[in-house]
Amino acid sequence: MAARTQVADINRELYDFVKSEEGSYRAHAGLTEDIVREISARKNEPSWMLELRLKSLAIYHETPVSDWGPSIDGLDMDNIVTYVKPLTEQESNWDDVPEDIKDTFERLGIPQAERAYLAGVGAQYDSELVYHNIQKSAAEQGVVYSGIEEALHGPHAERIREHFMKLITPRDHKFAALHGAVWSGGSFVYVPKGVHMDYPLQSYFRLNAKGAGQFEHTLIIVEDDADLHFIEGCSAPKYNVANLHAGAVELFVGKRAHLRYSTIENWSKNMYNLNTKRARCDEQGQIEWISGSFGSHVGYLYPMSILAGRKAQSSFTGITFAGAGQNLDTGCKVVLAAPQTTASIETKSISKDGGISTFRSSVVATPAATGSACTVSCQSLMLDDRSRSDTIPAMDIRCEDVSIGHEATIGRISDDKVFYLMSRGISEEEARTIIVNGFAEPVSKELPLEYAVEMNNLIKLEMEGAIG
Amino acid sequence: MGDWVEKNTVLEGANAMPAPTWHYLKMNDVSIEVPASLRVEPAVATAVSEQAVAPAGTFEYSLAMLQSWWDARWPSRVPISGAGADDAEAAYGGTAQSAYQRNADALEASQSLEAAFATGVGADAAGLLAQAAGDPIVIASDEGQNVRATVTVLGVADAFSSAAIDVVAGMNSTVNLDIVVDSPEAPENAAGFTGTTVRVLAGFGAKVNIRRMQTLDAGFDDIDDLGILTTDGARITVSQTVLGGNRTFTGLAADLRGDKSRLDIDLHYLGHGEQAHDFNYVVRHHGRETECDIQANGVLAGKSRKTLRGTIDLIRGCKGAQGNERETVLLVDKGVQNRTVPVILCNEDDVAGNHGATIGHVNAEQLHYLRTRGLSEKQAEALFLESSFDFALGAAPTEQAAAGVDRLARAVLGRSVVLDESEPTEGSR
Repeated sequence: MAARTQVADINRELYDFVKSEEGSYRAHAGLTEDIVREISARKNEPSWMLELRLKSLAIYHETPVSDWGPSIDGLDMDNIVTYVKPLTEQESNWDDVPEDIKDTFERLGIPQAERAYLAGVGAQYDSELVYHNIQKSAAEQGVVYSGIEEALHGPHAERIREHFMKLITPRDHKFAALHGAVWSGGSFVYVPKGVHMDYPLQSYFRLNAKGAGQFEHTLIIVEDDADLHFIEGCSAPKYNVANLHAGAVELFVGKRAHLRYSTIENWSKNMYNLNTKRARCDEQGQIEWISGSFGSHVGYLYPMSILAGRKAQSSFTGITFAGAGQNLDTGCKVVLAAPQTTASIETKSISKDGGISTFRSSVVATPAATGSACTVSCQSLMLDDRSRSDTIPAMDIRCEDVSIGHEATIGRISDDKVFYLMSRGISEEEARTIIVNGFAEPVSKELPLEYAVEMNNLIKLEMEGAIG
Repeated sequence: MGDWVEKNTVLEGANAMPAPTWHYLKMNDVSIEVPASLRVEPAVATAVSEQAVAPAGTFEYSLAMLQSWWDARWPSRVPISGAGADDAEAAYGGTAQSAYQRNADALEASQSLEAAFATGVGADAAGLLAQAAGDPIVIASDEGQNVRATVTVLGVADAFSSAAIDVVAGMNSTVNLDIVVDSPEAPENAAGFTGTTVRVLAGFGAKVNIRRMQTLDAGFDDIDDLGILTTDGARITVSQTVLGGNRTFTGLAADLRGDKSRLDIDLHYLGHGEQAHDFNYVVRHHGRETECDIQANGVLAGKSRKTLRGTIDLIRGCKGAQGNERETVLLVDKGVQNRTVPVILCNEDDVAGNHGATIGHVNAEQLHYLRTRGLSEKQAEALFLESSFDFALGAAPTEQAAAGVDRLARAVLGRSVVLDESEPTEGSR
């Protein structure tokens, strides 16, 4: 059998290609009030947004860097360009998108995916959306899917003001404050009452500019009894300087509504991914997080579910793969804040080639959470003895009438399993890849087929050279 | 009577877990306040086999002697977690380790047993307890010897009573150490502070069994501070029962340095009234095929609070090691708060680390069974509360400890848990 035939089909160049920045506008590097005002002015924002930006900037300066997670000493904000505008406006037809940018997204498979199975696509290039479109059938149902800045000037302006940075406030942490100050781009989704979307929406974020930051804001409101699947993808070419991603995702799930939020994060390995995601569920609302973290030099990512209504539910299914030079600190947070809420957390992490993977979580049950339940299961796989895998789950239970279960295991691939597969004529590397894919299966099975294939390919990529 | 505690003392960062998490959760560590009004009281009784009493400094001398054993074992053992970064990554600082990961690597690189030795509550608490205790109680067993020791610390009104205990267990010897912390004669509403700090060196094939039972009245705070280092084949069992007190702090740090050494921890606690219990366990696996098993069982009633941090650290080189941790917490009343952080740190692939926690009410199956026996939910929960005292009574290492359990049971349950032999039992009628 030829070793890793499928692996040979995958090429890092799929993500690592660089396009010229010629014609793009770059703000000065660093973070100043002038830059914040300039971003706001360029977007012709309402005054409340500028006030929010300036308040966020002040909070950023007074908030210390966290001391419990991966070091961000290599991230010097004085060298980060917080705003890069490509030489184009937002389009709704791919033919109108500049050739270089269009080629980027075609190589990433976005227009093809849109044609095949998506109800709408948003594509962001550096700091601005370059393409946004929604299928006619979805628009006819009253679904809004647009750039958030565009929506700020439309009929949903007041709705955005009511929700924007209300779940994730600038006081959350230093990089939430940074986001509040310099956010740019991102999507606004509004699904009216009772509307069920048959096909997913997808936003894809591409950071092309060297030494730049991307700070998109995603705001999704799913009204009562509505249903949406939203997919988020991201990638960047690799540079020898730090890039920064500090986006924010705020999700509002109405009564009996359902939202599935899927992410395959594949930033380049010079990226500091300091992203914040949060969902609030009303009575019987459901949030499902599907999360795959493969890229980034440093990752801090803990999607949070606030179960604020009776019988609200959340589930988090995540996988993290940390390879050489990566320290990925990922996990999730759950707040059981109403009676009979339920949450489940299932995560897998894999460490290889000196990579560091940390699962970090918090489950908080408030006194109001009577009759609630939460289960946490995290499994970690160590592929060699140079890597590191840590598990740091915290539980704070302030209600006696709850049921909280937690299980975690750390170990390595069983020699017996490898031996069994090798006895069937499979090479050791292929056997290990099969086992790791099996380990990741609970996550991949929750993804649309095309994304599951991409995730499996990423695993195969990471497994290259895993033996010897 | 001794000196007075001169000023209010606050031990910041006590019972700290090695790998911290979000500060807003307020779980990373705890502050211990020792009020200035306390006088230092040597209310400690000791019963140790005479031949096992050793001079102060025995622990330090033995630890220094072990350094050469360790140096010979892994002379070039340098951790390389985070290795593998390429040139581009090196350009922006290499692998971005967390502070605790960097500190752990630096400690490993130093190879120093003295630097690595720690007690669970922390150096500041150990220092305070040792200073207040005066001369340490040093128990040393010779090869093959079997030694038994009992140390009783009495809670006295308006006093700070503590004991500092060193255990150096010789090759293939056995040391059984019982510690009883009680306040049998304290007047009603008395307040005070008690504590023990224990350092254990377990020699090759040695067995050290430690039982500590705390049955203080509600006005007393208590610190249980323990540090352990094992060599090859050593076996340690630690049984802790925490029933009484106001604010209690229990910390254990173990360094399973020797191959095939093992640590078993069995914690039972009861929270009632306004009690606040704080526990911290840190088990570092250095040796090959080392094992640890942490079992924590507790009942929280009234408005009691409890925090348990449990860290199993599987350090690079501990091939074949296994660390297990299991916690069960029964929540009885509305006002309780339970906080748990079961941590596994892993820098080695050929290991198994597991932890599990079950936190909640009496489960449905148990309730159903008890209902079929005619008990209401409240009666069933009271049964679990009582069982904490019954268990403690069975585990009491001394008569005084048993009397302490019964005294607390009368205060909490309103009745004795000691079977009165003068009354006929069901079967004898």
